Amino acid sequence: MFKNNSIKFLILIVLFFLGCFFSLIFAGSESSQLSLHTFIFWEIRLPKTITAILAGSTLSIAGLILQIIFRNPLAGPYVLGISSGASLFVAVTVLSGTSLGLFNNYFLGKSVVIFSSVLGSVLITLFILFLSKKISSNVILLLIGLMLSQICGAIQGSLEYFADPNSLKSFVMWGMGSLSNTTDSDLLIYLPVSIIFISAVIFFIKPLNAFLLGQNYATNLGVNYSKNRFYLILISSVLTGVTTAFCGPIAFVGIAVPLLSRMLFNTSQQKIHLFSCILIGSTILLFSDVVCHTFSATATLPINMITTFIGAPLVIYLLFKNKQW
Amino acid sequence: MVNNCIKVINGEFGYKKNNRDLQILHTINFEIDNGDFVGVVGLNGNGKSTLLKSLCGLLPVLKGEIFIEGSLISSISNNELAKKIAVVLTEKISGFNLTSFDAVASGQLPYTNIFNKLESHHLKIIEEAIEICGLKSHQHKLLSELSDGLFQKTMVAKSIAQQTRIMLLDEPSAFLDYASKHQLFILLKTLTQQKQKCIMVSSHDLDLILKYCNKILLVKNYSAQMFSVDEAKLQPAFQELTGGYL
Repeated sequence: MFKNNSIKFLILIVLFFLGCFFSLIFAGSESSQLSLHTFIFWEIRLPKTITAILAGSTLSIAGLILQIIFRNPLAGPYVLGISSGASLFVAVTVLSGTSLGLFNNYFLGKSVVIFSSVLGSVLITLFILFLSKKISSNVILLLIGLMLSQICGAIQGSLEYFADPNSLKSFVMWGMGSLSNTTDSDLLIYLPVSIIFISAVIFFIKPLNAFLLGQNYATNLGVNYSKNRFYLILISSVLTGVTTAFCGPIAFVGIAVPLLSRMLFNTSQQKIHLFSCILIGSTILLFSDVVCHTFSATATLPINMITTFIGAPLVIYLLFKNKQW
Repeated sequence: MVNNCIKVINGEFGYKKNNRDLQILHTINFEIDNGDFVGVVGLNGNGKSTLLKSLCGLLPVLKGEIFIEGSLISSISNNELAKKIAVVLTEKISGFNLTSFDAVASGQLPYTNIFNKLESHHLKIIEEAIEICGLKSHQHKLLSELSDGLFQKTMVAKSIAQQTRIMLLDEPSAFLDYASKHQLFILLKTLTQQKQKCIMVSSHDLDLILKYCNKILLVKNYSAQMFSVDEAKLQPAFQELTGGYL
């Protein structure tokens, strides 16, 4: 069984590097001029490839954590409305902050956007957690999450209605989810924050394994339930928030990747799922990005179209296959 | 004093809701020593589960004191408590690829490193517990595929793998077949006699409790009293419980 897992990991790693290769070589603007070509590689494709890896890993791990905390295989940052909460808070900040001159300083502006994004995801997560204590049905919780995301979307829509046209277009594009808006200087923030918070999850492997047995058994096994849950919610909210701040709300990666990982690796050891989520999540986003670019030479499709095409049928399939929710 | 596995003084247990105490059990006084095999009996809804959950710190102590091996329960760290008390509850667990083996292996969780790595000495204890509970041929099944009886055996094996002196089991025999019920009680009795463990088991199988336990904790009207088996038989509360059929 152990050997079997190593082969699967090997295949995932190969796919991951293939994804990186395709994303670096094919996806993004083309040019015949050599000097422009290097520029495109370093300034457009490389940041975009790194962004795809970061977004895939962060969202998948956030989904993995949420599914365990809610003991609900249908949980994820997008379906529970957490991504929408983050993007609503970003909308409020961006649309009101421009007039305040908040974005004249690059780092101040970015920090405020990231902070509000994380705040939005923390608030929605806490609200869902509060509701989950009153509601035991996984499906109802999921429906409430979808409603929350509709509400956030509606508020955001009405804000956009009053926004000035210049900031509106970039904002709407951001809202569709995109991996190509991240610049070099964005990565200076995005990369370290993601790496720090993903690494932090490694120290929560034991609580995550214990959480699978539910609150009572986890407590009896010596795990401080509320303290660990608090930190895990914080980590998953930061992971969702920071990715939403840079890439917009990306659909279905957070719910689908942990499910895929559990289908692929027949184990309950969360350290295996942690690493496989990083690999599967980034590989899916890398290939999605390549697909986005190959459909048309001049324009790129929004990444959410591809991720929804992969994620939504998978969720439907699992709902059908497993009738116990 | 120090020999007492569990000692409860004027205990009041229950739930906290909106910062108000919802007291369920009151004036609980008893002590249990090493090697005691205690049957917890009482009618449905009289607080047997609440009592067991309170004794292992899953529910707050509203008033009074619980001493575990001589020290106050609130003064023991989570991880230390996990090495002193193992619990088997009635709740069902499934999903997330959890197999019978995984559930038993979780008993060793308090002893593993920060990454929950199972070394060979952990695996030896886990395999022993699986063997004792007769789960060897079922250990790789998912928890959702197990019958209710096998699931209960899995959780009992988990509590054995936790290597604690105290074991609290809430209706572990409810779904077991006739032979398995007796095997379980014999196993628990052997553990109390050979390893000086201190075991409390709640059950509605009164004949099993009378046959194997050496003490009976009678839970009635949200209070509890400890008797020896012979004393317990004479209590009106116990006769009410049997309905005169025993």
